[in-house]
Amino acid sequence: MADVINIQMPLWQLPLFILIPVAVLAAGVVWLRRIAHNRSSPGEDRDWSVPPLTDAAGVSLFHRWDVRCKIVTILVYSFVIASLSHLASALAAIGISLLILVITRASFAKVVLRLLAITGFVSMFLVVMPFSAPIHNGDTVLVFNGMNWLGFNLRGLRLAATIAAKAVAIALLMEPLLSTAPLPVTLHGLSRLGAPEMVGQMVLLSYRYLHVFRHEARRMSFGMQVRGFRKRMDLETLRAVGNFIGMLFVRSFERTERVFDAMQARGYRGRFPEPVELCLRTKDLLLAAAWLAAGAALIAYDRIAW
Amino acid sequence: MHISDGVLPISVTVGGYVASAAIVAWSARRTRSEELPKLAVMTAAFFVASLVQVPFGPTSVHLIIPGLTGALLGPSAFLSIGLGLLLQSLLFQFGGLTALGANALMMGLPALVCGWFFQRYKGRTQLRQAIIGGLAGAVGTALAAIILAILLVAGGEDFFGVAKIALLAHVPVIIIEGVVSAFTIGFLARVKPALLRPSFLRPTKAAHG
Repeated sequence: MADVINIQMPLWQLPLFILIPVAVLAAGVVWLRRIAHNRSSPGEDRDWSVPPLTDAAGVSLFHRWDVRCKIVTILVYSFVIASLSHLASALAAIGISLLILVITRASFAKVVLRLLAITGFVSMFLVVMPFSAPIHNGDTVLVFNGMNWLGFNLRGLRLAATIAAKAVAIALLMEPLLSTAPLPVTLHGLSRLGAPEMVGQMVLLSYRYLHVFRHEARRMSFGMQVRGFRKRMDLETLRAVGNFIGMLFVRSFERTERVFDAMQARGYRGRFPEPVELCLRTKDLLLAAAWLAAGAALIAYDRIAW
Repeated sequence: MHISDGVLPISVTVGGYVASAAIVAWSARRTRSEELPKLAVMTAAFFVASLVQVPFGPTSVHLIIPGLTGALLGPSAFLSIGLGLLLQSLLFQFGGLTALGANALMMGLPALVCGWFFQRYKGRTQLRQAIIGGLAGAVGTALAAIILAILLVAGGEDFFGVAKIALLAHVPVIIIEGVVSAFTIGFLARVKPALLRPSFLRPTKAAHG
């Protein structure tokens, strides 16, 4: 292979190559956050990620797809994407994900919020990797003003971009997976696939009480603010936060007991009633096969084309 | 910090799933089956606690609380954390679907270690419980950071730099987490000591020593 290609650059270009992309990224995040904020109605604070519990009025192909097929296909396909190793195929995967978003008519604001959630972790890779990736033969390195210790390795950037693209491609699929069926139906499908029924029940219970406790936490923090508490960087704040969490646990534990008593009083014997009858049709399987074939094509392209 | 999709090599993600499934099964066996719905509701409380933001300099950090979860739930903690991470990944995209197994190992193993540590050394006085609880909180976060670094390094030489930065980023969190855990455990020791007893979820069983 060729030797390391060093491209010398004057120091003033350092901001051009690094600060400007970072600034563009940050501006993009701010812009997306504003969009997401405007789209979600003011009353429901951060409830965006919640697939509606009872929204059966499905319109797209995905809403009518058998939930078991959907889970298996998307899970397998996600692993296929995660195993891609080249930027071009990862970008192609984003293209497929976008196409699916269009087909399922997923809520734009919800998708944007999911993307925002991964920006922190992914941008750490984008910022750190170009500088930290070890330099191999054949790499192209931008060196600024002879500062050899600060080489900007383009291979590292490419690797980080591939990781980011894969993360985005999979994150885009979560909304079609979850929002095209009510959560109890999705979990029912999961348990019909062989997962213990208790798993689905526990997810459903945690999910419901998540919002209850969050509401409670918000009320408690309003109370603290009314009494003059402001978060600062001192020990007193940490003490208040520690007590806050302790109080949250005490209240939640007491509620846990009451919830369980109430469930038993209503005849809970370790099962919830089945939300729907599932039936598998040929076209469900056809859709799954078609999608998985696309995944296989993607990985073949990834492995053979290079 | 949760690992997102596409970072880990496929062998590590699959291995993480297999290993954490085995530990989840063990953890579920250690929990009485009637208590599982209660555990689910408690998981929601831990989930909300992990969303609490603490100011740190110009920014703010959120707590991870593997140590506290372990101290309060004992062997059931792994199940609870797995469930919490599943919800975080499905609903909020914190941590990817394919990295779920690895994330569960990263948070769950420290919780088990800290739970054992806390129950072993907590002693009887409130002060001692608070100090041990604080240590458990700090150690839990430190272990989670170390496991995160190991998982990242599994991706190869290119990931060394990122792993180092990730470790460094956890240092302030470890300190804050330790102090907050100490106060939380101290509060619980004063207000509701029953929560700190081993396996509080099964009060009907024979008394522990």
